[in-house]
Amino acid sequence: MRKTLLYSALILLSALFIAPFYWTFMTAIKNTADLYQFPPVFWPSEWHWENFAAAWNKQPFGTYLTNSVIVVVFSTIGQLISSSLVAYGFARFRFPGRDPLFIVLLATMMIPWDVKMIPLYMEFNMLGWINTLKPLIVPAYFADAFFVFLLRQYIMTVPMEIDEAARMDGANAFDIYWRIHLPLMMPALVLVGTFHFMNAWNDYLGPLIFLNDQSKYTLTLGLSMFKGLHEVDVTSIAAITVILCLPPLALFFIAQRYIMDGAVGSSVKG
Amino acid sequence: MQNKTKSLIGSLMVLAMTGAATARAEETLRFATWDTDESLAIQQAIAKKFEEKHPGVKVQVEPYADGYDQKLIAAFGAGSPPDVMYMWNFPQYYTSLMPLDDLIARDAAEVKPDDFPKGLMNTTRVEGKTYGMPSGFTTQVVFYNKDMFAKAGVEEPKDGWTWDDLRAKAAKFRDEKNKVYGFAVDAKPDPYDFEQFLWSNGTKYISDDGKQIDGYMNSDGAAQVLDMFGDMAKKQEAITLNLGDDTSGSTLFKGGKIAMFQSAMWSKAGIDAAGFKYGVAPLPKFGDKTAHSALGVSAISIAKDAAHADLAWEFVKFFSSPEAVAMRTNDLPVRISVAEEKGMTTDPIYKPFFDILATSNTETHAFLKNANWGKVQDNLARAIEATMIDQGNAKQHLDDAVSRSKRLIK
Amino acid sequence: MDMTYAGAEAKVARRKRSAIARYAAPYLFISPWILGFLFFTLGPLVFSLTMSFYDWPVVGERTFVGLDNYRSMLFDDPQFWESLWITVKFAAIYVPFNIIMSFLLALMLHNITFASGFFRTAFYLPSVISGVALVTIWSWIYSKEYGLLNFMLSLVGIDGPNWLGDPNLAIVAIIIASLWGLGGTMLILLTGLKAIPKELYEAATVSGVPGWAQMLFITLPMLGPMLLFTFITSIISAFQQLTIALLLTKGGPLGSTYFFAMYIYDNAFKYFDMGYAAAGSWVMFIIVLALSLGVMRWSAAWVYYEGEVRQNDGEGHA
Repeated sequence: MRKTLLYSALILLSALFIAPFYWTFMTAIKNTADLYQFPPVFWPSEWHWENFAAAWNKQPFGTYLTNSVIVVVFSTIGQLISSSLVAYGFARFRFPGRDPLFIVLLATMMIPWDVKMIPLYMEFNMLGWINTLKPLIVPAYFADAFFVFLLRQYIMTVPMEIDEAARMDGANAFDIYWRIHLPLMMPALVLVGTFHFMNAWNDYLGPLIFLNDQSKYTLTLGLSMFKGLHEVDVTSIAAITVILCLPPLALFFIAQRYIMDGAVGSSVKG
Repeated sequence: MQNKTKSLIGSLMVLAMTGAATARAEETLRFATWDTDESLAIQQAIAKKFEEKHPGVKVQVEPYADGYDQKLIAAFGAGSPPDVMYMWNFPQYYTSLMPLDDLIARDAAEVKPDDFPKGLMNTTRVEGKTYGMPSGFTTQVVFYNKDMFAKAGVEEPKDGWTWDDLRAKAAKFRDEKNKVYGFAVDAKPDPYDFEQFLWSNGTKYISDDGKQIDGYMNSDGAAQVLDMFGDMAKKQEAITLNLGDDTSGSTLFKGGKIAMFQSAMWSKAGIDAAGFKYGVAPLPKFGDKTAHSALGVSAISIAKDAAHADLAWEFVKFFSSPEAVAMRTNDLPVRISVAEEKGMTTDPIYKPFFDILATSNTETHAFLKNANWGKVQDNLARAIEATMIDQGNAKQHLDDAVSRSKRLIK
Repeated sequence: MDMTYAGAEAKVARRKRSAIARYAAPYLFISPWILGFLFFTLGPLVFSLTMSFYDWPVVGERTFVGLDNYRSMLFDDPQFWESLWITVKFAAIYVPFNIIMSFLLALMLHNITFASGFFRTAFYLPSVISGVALVTIWSWIYSKEYGLLNFMLSLVGIDGPNWLGDPNLAIVAIIIASLWGLGGTMLILLTGLKAIPKELYEAATVSGVPGWAQMLFITLPMLGPMLLFTFITSIISAFQQLTIALLLTKGGPLGSTYFFAMYIYDNAFKYFDMGYAAAGSWVMFIIVLALSLGVMRWSAAWVYYEGEVRQNDGEGHA
């Protein structure tokens, strides 16, 4: 009885969250005549699957895809390594300057992008990184504050006794990170990986500012090019959006098992 | 002084960097544009042509689309702008652009400056100097759906029609059930374009010396214009755009939801594709006053410190040459010779665009007159929006805007 | 004294480890972030602070103006206070709703097994769709004449309002649209819930502790660190809220959704006034930092860290 109620609520709520995707998909596949009907057309009169290929071929999306994949894969690896190390450092040690440093770390999350943009551009320009993928990858190897904070909070829910037991067995600090905390924070790491993947995949401003040449563009820049100054190509935006959603969605569907049924144990009855 | 030395060292380093990065035999010219889709393809074709004529030169077309200003600001701010770029906002950028007057004078035989309508050249001039060459332009017109006019039995617009004529026609199309309207008015118009209505009604945003807005922006003529649009919304002669959603006028027009649509060249390709018969009418007049149109000009400019200044100028010349101008089918030819050769000045679809160009060279856009115009303009935009929400009260809202803007006008 | 690895000094002393390694270990672990901070953050930070004391057009002459940017922002510019007030209003509603709704959803998902993967994915879906497309959808939903919402309302005989066109409703519409992206927050809380050892609940159930008490004395305290995280990050994202308003309402109608982040954005990219924009950014930075530190301090009262590093080890928690 309780379960039925719970599931009905969930189905209703999830419909609200799926609706945008449904609508995007339908917009992608409709013909122009159905697009602006009133009352709205919920089920298209014709299915134009070719809209997807047409949108994809309007720009060199193959190249964009390669660039996006390079950025996402390499930056995600960097983010996972660096932020877990840093989080462990902040969560499990006491050292002079820890608390001020942590506040500085938190503060870096609060700097608006508008003011960082020009100095960063100058710096990357000096390094000769403009119009390369490096500005989108390399900073990920230096730990993002959001993820450090997230992992630190997670590590701090793990009882200290676990570390001490390992220490008694002769493990050093790195062993404890590598053999105990890394496995324990697997669910949170998958979360970090997912979030970072999504951020990098959907990032628009970074690529816009640091890339010049269309052969270096990423998928989101391609998507944004359907929105001109005066006219918007709604069908192509919808089609590319659907295609763009699929890889992260598939990845998430696989990853969420690890987030949920990770090291600590399966669900608890409530 | 010290700053200069520093920036010199900076630019030398940048030069060394870029030199190292492109240490190939060919020269790369960076060209930034805001256009997308077909217009972008046309520019890429023009760039290709230029490459063919200049072996060893590569033109890197950089489309920034919607993010144009952000990208350009970052690039200029960091001292590495593209060599050549699309430009319209000259007052904001001109200090970093190369003045072209000497070059135009030097190559006058080739450039033929007289081939460009005077009104277009005016838009690229700041403080008496020319900072860009027009490459394409558009004026504003009214598109109308001939099929809808025929079906409703309404007489099509004629040359010299007035806003009263437009309103009378628009009223006949209102169909509540199917959500059809005769016309669309914009609650958040681009103030740049909107000034055309003030000009057409004998007033303007700001005095010609750029020092007075009281009595201009809030003049009776201006209030009349705003109140008229508010009243059109109130009487349901027009749907109000940009008040609550971003359904665009072109979308509604293409979908047969509005019979008349005021817009510019950039809408034409989409309307062509919508597959119904349409006509183009000039902007209506206020009574017997002359109608003026805003000028949308895509000019191209050279960065002041461009690495390849000579090459950049060659490119700019080519971009505004008859050959390149003729290739631009998505906007209108900036050269009179090309327009005439294509028969556009007599073609009924194109004629209204050119007719109004001839009467639109007497006024200067407000942003060329005052450096602080951007902020003033936002107060003005607020007044227009407020009038559309109230469907009236223009005078009061404009007075408000003027008093909010006083501190910005020095 | 404080330098030791958390845990009893006595135990550590027994180890034969060089003093250098002991001192260096924590810094080695956090070194990636420190280097990143020095390379990619500190420079821009100093640069922007400098900018805020200049009249700094993107192109052209730069002049030092001291505190003028701050002064005219605080005392002459009505737009500053208006946009700040709108942002505070937004944050005051968005932050609690975001956390409470995420928490409730996470609880629901925590308690099911069948099709749980499907539901998790469903709630996360809006977070996967890129901003531009999402806003297009919302604009279509809210449209007065042609929108889905008013179409639905018309089916039950209600003449729907102009959601985004009414200065009083637009901010509500934006809050709703923002809450749609709560998938990330929900996941973080769900991960936290899953990490609570189920033995705690089993023991409580055996001792006859009722469900509500388990929630109050086990779930909430154990979730504390994660709740704190979502609290602080929600505040930050509320203050940086830009995309949705920029694309959906462009700050209107009549400036009713003109957020503080948009005010900064316009000064930078519309008015080309980088110095003024930088000053605005610093004001925002200080406000958000103060709020976050306040929350951190207050959290000491309600966040329980199972693995907190204590000066004196061990005793007194189980």
